[in-house]
Amino acid sequence: MFRRRRSEEDFADEIRAHLELEADDLRGEGVSSEEARYRARRNFGNVRAAQEAFHLRGRWVWLDRLVRDVRFGLRSMRQSPGFTLTAVLTLALGIGANTAVFSVMNAVLLRSLPVADPEQVAYLHTSNPPNGTGTIDSNDTFSYAVYQALRQRNGALSDLMAVGLLSTSKIGVRIGTLPEQAEADMVSGNFFSGLGVRMVRGRGFTPEDEAGSAPVLVISYDYWTRRFDRDPGVLGSTIFVKGVPFTVIGIAASGFEGVEATHSTDFWIPLQNRLPFNVLGNPPENGKLFENNPTWWCLRLIGRLAPGVSRTQAAARLQPIYQHAARIGLGDPMPGEHPVVLSFGDAKSFTGDYQDMYGKPLRMLMAMVGLVLLIALTNLIMLLMARNAARQREFSLRLALGARPAELLRQLLTESALLVLLGGAMAWAFAALATRVLARWALIESSLAPDHTVLLFTCAVLVVSALLLGIAPFRTAIGGGAELALKTSAASAQIDAGKSRLGKAIVALQMALCVVLLVGAGLLTRTLYNLRNIPLGMNTNGLVVFGLNPQTVHNQAELVRFYEELQRRLGRLPGVESTTVMSERIGSWWSDNSDVTVDGREGRAADGSTIVVRHNDIGPNFFHTLQVPILLGREFTEADGASKHPVTVVNQLFADTFFPHRNPLGHLVNGFTIIGVVANHKYRSMDEAPIPMCWWDYAQGPGEGEMTVEMRVRGDDPLAILPSVEKVVAQMDANAPLIEPMLLREQYETTISQQILFARLAEFFGLLAIVLVATGLYGTLSYRVNRRTAEIGVRMAVGARRGQVLWMVLRDSLVLSAVGVVLGLPLAAVTGRALAASLYGVHPLDPLTYAVSVVGIAVVALASGAAPALRAASIDPLAALRTE
Amino acid sequence: MPTQTRKSESADERIALLQGTLDLLILRTLLLGPHHGQGVARSIQRQSEEVLFVDHGSLYLALQRLEDRKWIRARWGVSENNRRARFYELTEKGRAQLAAKTSEWNRLTEAMGRILNGTTGARNEEV
Repeated sequence: MFRRRRSEEDFADEIRAHLELEADDLRGEGVSSEEARYRARRNFGNVRAAQEAFHLRGRWVWLDRLVRDVRFGLRSMRQSPGFTLTAVLTLALGIGANTAVFSVMNAVLLRSLPVADPEQVAYLHTSNPPNGTGTIDSNDTFSYAVYQALRQRNGALSDLMAVGLLSTSKIGVRIGTLPEQAEADMVSGNFFSGLGVRMVRGRGFTPEDEAGSAPVLVISYDYWTRRFDRDPGVLGSTIFVKGVPFTVIGIAASGFEGVEATHSTDFWIPLQNRLPFNVLGNPPENGKLFENNPTWWCLRLIGRLAPGVSRTQAAARLQPIYQHAARIGLGDPMPGEHPVVLSFGDAKSFTGDYQDMYGKPLRMLMAMVGLVLLIALTNLIMLLMARNAARQREFSLRLALGARPAELLRQLLTESALLVLLGGAMAWAFAALATRVLARWALIESSLAPDHTVLLFTCAVLVVSALLLGIAPFRTAIGGGAELALKTSAASAQIDAGKSRLGKAIVALQMALCVVLLVGAGLLTRTLYNLRNIPLGMNTNGLVVFGLNPQTVHNQAELVRFYEELQRRLGRLPGVESTTVMSERIGSWWSDNSDVTVDGREGRAADGSTIVVRHNDIGPNFFHTLQVPILLGREFTEADGASKHPVTVVNQLFADTFFPHRNPLGHLVNGFTIIGVVANHKYRSMDEAPIPMCWWDYAQGPGEGEMTVEMRVRGDDPLAILPSVEKVVAQMDANAPLIEPMLLREQYETTISQQILFARLAEFFGLLAIVLVATGLYGTLSYRVNRRTAEIGVRMAVGARRGQVLWMVLRDSLVLSAVGVVLGLPLAAVTGRALAASLYGVHPLDPLTYAVSVVGIAVVALASGAAPALRAASIDPLAALRTE
Repeated sequence: MPTQTRKSESADERIALLQGTLDLLILRTLLLGPHHGQGVARSIQRQSEEVLFVDHGSLYLALQRLEDRKWIRARWGVSENNRRARFYELTEKGRAQLAAKTSEWNRLTEAMGRILNGTTGARNEEV
């Protein structure tokens, strides 16, 4: 604080000296001694005012006052710890929930990539690629030939970066002696320089690294922290990626975790034109790796727009180049085939339905959590109003003693600011915790930790809350006026009917919001219940699944030998009932789709349209292990792999589609003989519609090293078998970790992780709303009963029975709730409509959900009314009248 | 009471000091040598032939302000008539300020004069 060099006493001394000198002078002019002293004083004017001004000189007056107000506020908070605790907790939950949901929204939807000038960065999308190409994602992946054509100097882009997935899941790496899994991407040489991602240590990639398939590697800051404890010695060390040694040359800037908003990449390697680094770990197609295969559209492309060029302009300028490059290696287009169209999208995600998946539901959640905050704030306002009404005597006294209303307002604002500050601090801690839980529920791997934007958001919420909470109860506070201080009766101080009307309106509003939240929560919970109870068409009990990418396997024969031997060894482990392998992990969103030939002709539906068929390569015992019923024929055996007679198994929908009312056994699919028909079951996700499928024997296929192993294990905890499995695998390949081992049930549930997240959050918000509304209602009713003690005493004295009094209070509560419900139901219907896209198997106007919500409100009304009603009914009329 | 009559008459003719002018007057007064606060007040009143009225409270606050800015310094001493008093004197910084403020003031009054008397002056030139 400001240091005063001169004391106030010294200043007072000087004034005294002045008065004496002045009196001396006046005496010298012939004024009498008495008169001189009087006139000196009068000429000076207000001595007190001068001293006060001296005292305040250079001080931060407002700070002085603030300190005083804060002290006073803290004192009055200590005086009513119950109120303080309730208020702070309410705020912490209300604001914390908002902060948490906003953090998720910020991380997933709002935050731009942590790169230089992110507004210039755009992801490339295409219309469906030409016939005859294979893609990873039909609208977001391009061939290396297209990449090469588009990255030539063209004036539209200053840089074009490419990302190739090494696997559909994590890959196996070895840093020390034990193999482990990591999330890695293969990127073009200009990836870091083009994005403008700095290195905290070492260097990024260069075009030469890409051209030479250099065995170098850049790790993310997060991976460096998590895996290496930020050891600078990691630079120059070796990491075995898929068994191949790579040297760590750089650590990327903190915060950069790759180019997918919901994923976190551990490290990057330059594009590799060699095995085993073909995109997705695929075997070469006709001897060609992805760089030489123009029909394998497998690269995701990220462009940096040239200065002053818009996305539309860039797309227009690149269109002819793209359309030309897209035909490389394909020859002339088929008649009626549309030319491909290039477009640029936000640098957020390559997944097309990203906005559907996250955008809308998150906005709905944000709205719901906003309602929770509204309920929390109105609750607090009512609490404060009740409290201030009780403090009216204090305020009146202060007004009577000369305090200005502005000073009272300042003090109320300080008190609310204190509450909000305390609540806000707790909210921040709560949110930090909640985001971690949210990330796990939503399977979002990127960091959701609150950042500056979130802090700003929270601060804004806090300021608004503090203002609302300070101003709203102000009217109650000064409502009594100064004259109230003179009145003596406690009851006479509480006569303003308008105030209690406002209180009632607020309770009804809260009830309405609560109905909305309950209906929302109910609809989402039923959705989740429905999703979880979709029959998968298999028995997932005891099914354990894990990926494996053995590096000791170099050809088809070795592959089959490896997995046959592995299954034999796994089968010997205690508790293992059966094992099988598959190329594509089921329940992971991935699928391999194409059209097929049936009996040598192109497979077409009755109306002539092409039918897309889904494929997977599997081992023997696949359907037996999954317990999918075999309807006709048989499944693959080891003998099929050894024989050269190519065979296939199809599902019922395939049979019904291509062979209606005929026996499909013995017919040919792509030249493979159908030997069995199995029942339809879920393949890619839980809520998919059935699609015609056929399975190939992996032992007859081209042979991909990367397989997923499925095993059925007895016992309550099937995952307990994993350590023994790891040992078995380690004996066979030192570089192959178990990739994402989990229960098959969990694997399928990853496909409804958003729905799980939203349902759980909505349930939480609904619960929070109920608790808040219940406490609010309880508080209001208790307060009213207290105020009406005398009145109730009189009623009872003149003959009201206890039952009547009880009902009088409960009726109050029920009427308020009924009004709230009537207001809330239409709002809830609107909410249901808005949620419709996120619902599964439940109508937005589902009567059961609405009925349960209304009953829930009624229960809340009765439960929170019970205690005050009983208290009212137990009032002793004599005692009540005596208090007057 | 004759004194009271004189006072009320002169009060009408007195001019309340403009913001900032008090500082200038104090500095100017102190240019003549160290003074205590009461002496400064008397001196200003006398030199302005009782036209300017100095509020004593404001004067002492102004003195303190100037002291805080290190334009003047103060120490306790003894007056001619043997009273303990706080004496103020100009610092080098204060002298510089006085010069600057004086010229600023002169320019201001000149400009004000030109505007306020401008209409008559213009007419005279035309004639």
